[in-house]
Amino acid sequence: MTDKTILIVEDQDDLRLLIRLSLKSLGRIVLASSAAQGLEMVRAEKPDLVVLDVWLGDGGSGLDVCRAIRADAAASGTRVLLLSACGQQSDVEAGLDAGADRYMIKPFSPQSLVETAGTLLGNA
Amino acid sequence: MPQSEAHRLQVLLDLNILDTAPEERYDRITRMAARLFQAPVALVSLIDAERQWFKSRIGVPFSQTERSDSFCTHTIMQDGVMVVEDATQDPRFAANPLVTGPAQARFYAGCPLEAPDGSRIGTLCILDRVPRALDDEQRELLRDMTHMVAGEIASGAMRHASERRREDDAWLGVLLAHIPDGVLMLDRSGTILSANPAAEQMFGSDVAGLAGRPATALLGDDIGAWVAPRRDPGAAAQESVGRRIDGSSFPLEVKVAPMRMGGQRRFAAIVRDVTRQRDAEQRSRATEDRRRKHFTTATHELRTPMASILGFSELLLKRDFDAATSRELVEIIHRQATRLVELINQMLDLARIEAGGVQGLNIGPVVVADLVEQTLSGLNGLGQNGRVRVDLEEGLPTIAADALKMQQALTNIISNSIKYSGEGSPIDVGAAALQRDGRPMVAIRVADHGIGMTDDQRNRIFDAFYRAGESPNVQGSGLGMTIFKEIIELHGGQAEIESRHGVGTTVTVWLPAEAEHD
Repeated sequence: MTDKTILIVEDQDDLRLLIRLSLKSLGRIVLASSAAQGLEMVRAEKPDLVVLDVWLGDGGSGLDVCRAIRADAAASGTRVLLLSACGQQSDVEAGLDAGADRYMIKPFSPQSLVETAGTLLGNA
Repeated sequence: MPQSEAHRLQVLLDLNILDTAPEERYDRITRMAARLFQAPVALVSLIDAERQWFKSRIGVPFSQTERSDSFCTHTIMQDGVMVVEDATQDPRFAANPLVTGPAQARFYAGCPLEAPDGSRIGTLCILDRVPRALDDEQRELLRDMTHMVAGEIASGAMRHASERRREDDAWLGVLLAHIPDGVLMLDRSGTILSANPAAEQMFGSDVAGLAGRPATALLGDDIGAWVAPRRDPGAAAQESVGRRIDGSSFPLEVKVAPMRMGGQRRFAAIVRDVTRQRDAEQRSRATEDRRRKHFTTATHELRTPMASILGFSELLLKRDFDAATSRELVEIIHRQATRLVELINQMLDLARIEAGGVQGLNIGPVVVADLVEQTLSGLNGLGQNGRVRVDLEEGLPTIAADALKMQQALTNIISNSIKYSGEGSPIDVGAAALQRDGRPMVAIRVADHGIGMTDDQRNRIFDAFYRAGESPNVQGSGLGMTIFKEIIELHGGQAEIESRHGVGTTVTVWLPAEAEHD
């Protein structure tokens, strides 16, 4: 177990569990299921990595969360990995424009999620 | 210098004189010529491409000859009166059948006959069977008489032209009265002078109300630039915003063409109301946007359960879990696979209903009580039927509907009521015959006392894949209400939803009652 903190922001229970199980060897996992809760946790936990869904229910957007993280000087060390079922080129570009470090498309392989997250944490 | 033969022939043709009946105004002149010159033959000869044809003839029994046999074809190639005193002595005519044959022509004198534009279209000529000469005075006389023939031809051409103009005017009148495009005539300053009926209708005023107004008042300010002197209005129609006399506006296309009338510069503005095209374009853009959004959402909705199926199965294959956890993960995979299948079925169903349209419906008379009963028995599996209270009006008319599709529509709303209201909370299903917009309708109402919807949720309820509360854990594809609405609308019905957050939801379906049979 390392000293890294990973925040997972995902509104689907099953997928939150899947991501948690996939990444638990990389660090301490904290969970949020909405955009508002995600932002709260970013401030409270100062995570090294945020794995962030894009469509967060009730109109909440992971892109807004990502932009808020980038605008927050206190979170300058936080890496953001967007993980979304929106997989068009324009979606990916919008994600990177919002300041995400990486964009992965659902469905995803847990193995490659671990590798990508590991790379981002290694650079943190 | 004579103009080209092709032009000369066209001028002759345009006079519309060839092969017409004899006319006294020409015969009078040939008669006079025969008498004055004491010649047995006098002709008004017109030189066509391959023949000479006589508009008027004295002393010959035929109305045309080969052009090659003609003296006159030579006359029109030279200036002034041509005289052949003795054809047997002239190498051009010695072997001519008119000379060697029974006509026995010896003497010829002809003068070129000119159309109004100067083209030499034929001659006035005289012939005799004995050699003769023509003195200067006689040549002068023949020339004058030829001018008389030319005068008759010119006045005939003018009569013909004015007749043509009358026909053109009649044609133009019919055209302006009946074309769907508005046509305005403008003076050089852009003031309206006249308007056709389509323009009157388009701008909501008769000619009297339009004339004298600046065209810019009706056609938009850009028209001012188009009627400016020396401005090429271009070939393309311009888009603009039209203003009716009552102040309302509409999209139009206008083309302004310059012209001259009575020496004055004028403009014709041809105006087309393009409201319908613009509306259609907007509708098709909206449809396209909706389709694109639907595609994006559908893709997202399909990938989400696939993410669970693929992800958990990979974890199960690559890692070791205790038996209880393994079972939990397989249950998730099973649940998400079930959801995926449901989603695909619903998407295909919606696509089929949309593609099939009204033709895809199997319409027949449907008794509302049977419809409700069959819908509820289909929902038996949910074990919730005890909650449903049915209250149908007596003597309801039948509806014209596809029974299975209508059952599907009702199933979707009743199962929503079950899903979104507390266990055991009653659901009321009622039906009544009512008039709506003057038509007999049947209103079927499903009312629950469940969680209800906020205004925002209510406004989005028919959006594809929208799930109230967007709670990811609520089962359902989010297509149920979309399918419901599509089915109702295909039946010519309407759906209304009243809902209060925390109080409950009432869905009313209006369907046209079947016309009563005698």
